Amino acid sequence: MVITSVDVIQSIIDGILYGSIYALIGVGFTLIFGAMQKLNMAYAASSIAGAYCGLGISAVLSLNLLVTFFLGPLVGGLIGILVYLVCFRFIPSREHLGSLMASIGALFLIDEIIVHETDGSPLNFPELGIFSEAYFLVGEFGFRGDLIFVLIVSLLAMTSIILMLYRTKYGLAARAVSQQMNAAILCGINPHKVNASTFFLAGVLGGLAGCLAAAAVGVISPLLILPLTIKGLIATVIGGLGSIKGAIIAGLLLGGFESLFLLVRGVNERDIYVFLLLFLFLVFKPNGMFGSIIDRD
Amino acid sequence: MEYYFGILQTLGFHVLLGYSAYILLLTGQLSLAQVGFFAIGAYASGILTVLFEWHIFPALFIGAIAAGCMAFMVGFPALRIKGLMLVIATIAFSEIVRLIFFNLRWRFEINGLEVGPDGAQGFREIRYFAANGWEIYEIVWLIWTMVAVATILLWWLDQIKAGAILRAIGSDELAAESSGINVTSVKIVAMACGGVIAGLSGGLYAHSTTYVDHNTFTVLLATFAVSYPLVGGLKSVFGTLAAVIFIQGILIEGLRFLGDYRTILFGALIILVMNFKPKGIVDENFVKGISEYLRLNKKLIK
Amino acid sequence: MTVLSIKNVSKRFGGVLAVDDLDLTVDKGEIVGLIGPNGSGKSTTINLICGVFPMDKGSIKLFDNDLKGLARYERSHLGIARTYQNIRLFGGLTVWQNVWIATRQNGIGSFAKKLGALFLRSQKSVEAVDELLDLFALQNKANIAAENLSFGEQRRLELARALASEPKLLLLDEPAAGMNSEEVQELRDRIFKVRDLGISVLLVEHVMELVMNVTDRINVLNFGKKIAEGKPNAIQGNALVQEAYFGS
Ligand SMILES: Nc1ncnc2c1ncn2[C@@H]1O[C@H](COP(=O)(O)OP(=O)(O)O)[C@@H](O)[C@H]1O
Ligand SMILES: [Mg+2]
Repeated sequence: MVITSVDVIQSIIDGILYGSIYALIGVGFTLIFGAMQKLNMAYAASSIAGAYCGLGISAVLSLNLLVTFFLGPLVGGLIGILVYLVCFRFIPSREHLGSLMASIGALFLIDEIIVHETDGSPLNFPELGIFSEAYFLVGEFGFRGDLIFVLIVSLLAMTSIILMLYRTKYGLAARAVSQQMNAAILCGINPHKVNASTFFLAGVLGGLAGCLAAAAVGVISPLLILPLTIKGLIATVIGGLGSIKGAIIAGLLLGGFESLFLLVRGVNERDIYVFLLLFLFLVFKPNGMFGSIIDRD
Repeated sequence: MEYYFGILQTLGFHVLLGYSAYILLLTGQLSLAQVGFFAIGAYASGILTVLFEWHIFPALFIGAIAAGCMAFMVGFPALRIKGLMLVIATIAFSEIVRLIFFNLRWRFEINGLEVGPDGAQGFREIRYFAANGWEIYEIVWLIWTMVAVATILLWWLDQIKAGAILRAIGSDELAAESSGINVTSVKIVAMACGGVIAGLSGGLYAHSTTYVDHNTFTVLLATFAVSYPLVGGLKSVFGTLAAVIFIQGILIEGLRFLGDYRTILFGALIILVMNFKPKGIVDENFVKGISEYLRLNKKLIK
Repeated sequence: MTVLSIKNVSKRFGGVLAVDDLDLTVDKGEIVGLIGPNGSGKSTTINLICGVFPMDKGSIKLFDNDLKGLARYERSHLGIARTYQNIRLFGGLTVWQNVWIATRQNGIGSFAKKLGALFLRSQKSVEAVDELLDLFALQNKANIAAENLSFGEQRRLELARALASEPKLLLLDEPAAGMNSEEVQELRDRIFKVRDLGISVLLVEHVMELVMNVTDRINVLNFGKKIAEGKPNAIQGNALVQEAYFGS
């Protein structure tokens, strides 16, 4: 097969659209990192779990797709709070590996529960109705309707999060806690409540990302968890640990990059190059695209 | 009997994997790359004995060294930055290694039989032990000799300055560096040593099971590797040993009747230990108890 | 001979100019005080000397070595040692090990020597550690984990550890905080002993009882700027200093 420049650009377009899911996950990681300077490794797992629950509940109650897209994020948020409670809330931060390790434990706990409950087989995820059929042609390039939907929903969600962080009382409290924990406590802010809210918000974003990913792929499977975890983390690092703007841009670019290598190297080798990209950044731009200079502490 | 020898082998690989993570954890760094080094050791030594018909010992040695060199190369960029970056970089590294072996096809005929890594089909035919008439107890003996040597070396590490330096970094990096320790290079050396041990473990594993494929080298196995020292506690190397026996011997092997609930239990166990015993099960009091007991015995002997 | 010379050094944290165009020197065998109200940039100055974070502008020299771009451990090898305002010991290690870690062999001498120091306990290093523990009255605690020491003992251990690297310049960040007057006396005697070893000292301190009695010269900071410098009794009467401390 000859790869034309049209193919290349088309695949990058598809990838960038799908990359909005990585951007969402990356923003979730960043929110939690920003709040506690910690990684929540269970984050993508709880996102997929949220989507599973949304799908399951609406299937049992035979509700329509719209409800799935409402329930998925909601349950994702609730699982987020749960993860906060069992992995972050009570583990003293001087044991700096404690929460990290516990969240890795939670990652496999969630993953295995899903595998166990579904016997490891993927479930069909409903298509996005009219969006799935739509296809827009702009010149030589096509835009898949469902991926456009994914992009728009993601951008809306991320915009609301940023507005929340900078325009609401919660956002003020969250930023206060992350910058000056003790001063915030003196001002009467309860840091645990604020952190739990952050985990909830991140979980909502994650549940949304899980639903969008499942809708775009057409099935939902625990096999989505690990790639989503790693790619979300890579988006976080490449964007610059702690930068929301960075995570969004890096997530989109990562999607494009991934799709390009899918075209050029095939599905079996694609992820090798995506993961190598991380090492390129670690060597040449360790603070990512938008990271403030990270202390070498 | 075969069954118990099989368990002993499994325990041996896991103890070595746990040790490889332990060294780096002493410096406060969590690496999920150990499974990548394990895979490199497995494939490299397997290729040497199968495709190049080497003797097992040089093959194991080169496998371990190859893994160590790789560890050095990964550690170099990843350890210069924040500790969290290492987690992300190592998880990506392990997946890169897994995918490379997933795609690796390198087969040719040896003695009229086509052998070698076969992409997604895995690498079968690593039959050095069978072909050379090793009995299973001899294999177990080999594995546990390696475990014993590694245990003694790691125990000795705590008697010398090198060990104290590792722990000092784990305890306070800034203070250690301001006391004249080149923290980054110590961490990289620790990473390389961990790579060597993991590679050795991988080589032993490949030859004992005669068969490896990419499905073995998952992030789950990487998590097992770091969970042993963390669950066992970093106070001493024996914590890791105890944790392997507890997790692999009791939780995974002993509770076979629970089926796949066991992996769920594994996740739950980690969460529980981190919440209630963040310093691991073999913690200060545990060690104090034992050392007091030993001191008593010493006095009695005198 | 000038041991430490700081010229035009500034450091900004976001909106805070923590150190503002600072000049400061410490001569050989001198004990120099650095005082100023809380938040005036004293700890930041020490952190800049040790390379905890880079400075924005200016230069810091130890003897003739420009410290710019040097890693923290390299600065230690050049002869800078410090204590911390909030004690930073290696909590899980024993008292003995805490001092042993810092003994001079780290990174000094030939490669073989360095390697040997990692694996062997040289008689010299053992003696050096024991001597320091004696000096700081910690010999009977040698095998106790540092985190189990009392506050005063931890402070002494931090000093012992700092001296183990055989520094030429010792930076002390509020070493007398929380001490009673008897302990302050002991600390004063120890600082004099350190000076007698030929080590220059930069002492950041609030406890006037100590600063006034032990230093040869005092620098006063306010909002990151040096507002006065002079002999202790001259500083005591300086109106600017009193205003900085007590407000107008
Ligand atoms: N790492 C840091 N990040 C941000 N601001 C800092 C940091 N260290 C010190 N500061 C700020 O710099 C100013 C000087 O602090 P410091 O040097 O600790 O004062 P002092 O030791 O004289 O009490 C303070 O306003 C403090 O908040
Ligand atoms: Mg201070």
